[in-house]
Amino acid sequence: MHQQLLCSGLEQLVNKALALNLQGKQGLDRLEQKTLSLHLQEIGFALSFTVSAQHVLINTLTEHPDCTINTSVKTLLLLKKEQQLTELIKQDKLDISGDIKVAQTFAHIAETLDIDWQSELAKHIGDIATYKLIQTGKSVGNKLKFAVQQIQADASEWLVHEKKLVVTSSQISHFNQQVSDLEKQAQLLADRAECLLHKKISLNDSAIKDSCE
Amino acid sequence: MPTQDQDHQSKSTHFGYQTVEKNEKESKVASVFHSVAAQYDVMNDLMSFGIHRLWKRYTIDASGVRPGNKVLDLAGGTGDLTAKFSQLVGRDGKVILADINSSMLNVGRDKLRDKGLVQNIEYVQANAQYLPFEDNTFDIVTIAFGLRNVTDKDMALRSIFRVLKPGGRLLVLEFSKPEHEFVNKAYDFYSFNILPKMGELVAKDGDSYQYLAESIRMHPDQETLKTMMDTAGFEQTSYKNLTGGVVALHKGYKF
Repeated sequence: MHQQLLCSGLEQLVNKALALNLQGKQGLDRLEQKTLSLHLQEIGFALSFTVSAQHVLINTLTEHPDCTINTSVKTLLLLKKEQQLTELIKQDKLDISGDIKVAQTFAHIAETLDIDWQSELAKHIGDIATYKLIQTGKSVGNKLKFAVQQIQADASEWLVHEKKLVVTSSQISHFNQQVSDLEKQAQLLADRAECLLHKKISLNDSAIKDSCE
Repeated sequence: MPTQDQDHQSKSTHFGYQTVEKNEKESKVASVFHSVAAQYDVMNDLMSFGIHRLWKRYTIDASGVRPGNKVLDLAGGTGDLTAKFSQLVGRDGKVILADINSSMLNVGRDKLRDKGLVQNIEYVQANAQYLPFEDNTFDIVTIAFGLRNVTDKDMALRSIFRVLKPGGRLLVLEFSKPEHEFVNKAYDFYSFNILPKMGELVAKDGDSYQYLAESIRMHPDQETLKTMMDTAGFEQTSYKNLTGGVVALHKGYKF
């Protein structure tokens, strides 16, 4: 029943997002009574999206969908733009059967989803509290970003210079340069050796001729 | 010649743990549901911790419903299944919400109308044993948490079989026998000690919820119900235990 639990949660999430969409429920009219069946490799069962009276129903019914998509979650996340649909099909990352217009309309709705989270939050906690919360959020976010960058810098410093567990990019390029120099020298040596060998063979041949005469 | 004892048995049935006359059960069940109708949805959520919504979703998913289908939601009560079916069958389809109890039907009708679901739903007060529909009418018949309250279950199954179209299917969602003894014990404790008290507190009617617990224990187990469906004429009958067998979904086809 985890499938039903997932469908139930998704259904609430999708319909809430559509209700909050600044663009309204545009496009849903064109999908009335249309079903898109989505087979995701990772979850092992199909999710069917049916539009009924401006409401999206999600279930695991797989019988007679208008359009079926076989893909992975990773590919689905790339599917933000309509034109990417064709590219992904060409790359064999997406397998679509049935009415492609249905898939395109669903993709278009997902792409144009625009929610004003600040306004929605303000409805519940008020304008000032929302402003304060957003500012605090931004400040905390910036501090976290800085802290992450600092930790990364410190960690690489420690690994490269103190523990000498990791080499720097300049060391790698120096090593690469040395390898290619060595390769060139080895090639020169090989050429020289081959040349000497040829000379030795030709000298041997002329010595045999002289003795015969 | 039937003995006096056999004759008494054929005229009697269960009402929870009580043995009552067959013609008495209907009115007793009716009084239970008249009493709980108003608080039915709240109690369902409370008693099952909301899991009844997932059991019903599972039933919808197993039904294979398609746009244009004609569905009978028997003992449909407050219309949870009807609401979903109505959206899935679309304008070309139809859903009939049928219940023997007028109070439950009224609560269901009000709830669905408040949700704006009016286009393709009809309401019929009907006894499952004597369905007032023509032969071969429905693509799908569902009966969720209703069969155990029916006086003559075999007769109801035959009646459902009659109204199903060839190729149509019946789905019976009903409380059943838990698969594991530990679950059974815990379930018994919950049903007979906590459930009636919850009913007393919320619905002000502990007796009705005592009946609910007893009627679940008297209901045929998974295999028995499957055999009953076979006997009524259903084919490819199968069942799926949900939540460890606390509930089972039986499915059968008419060919």
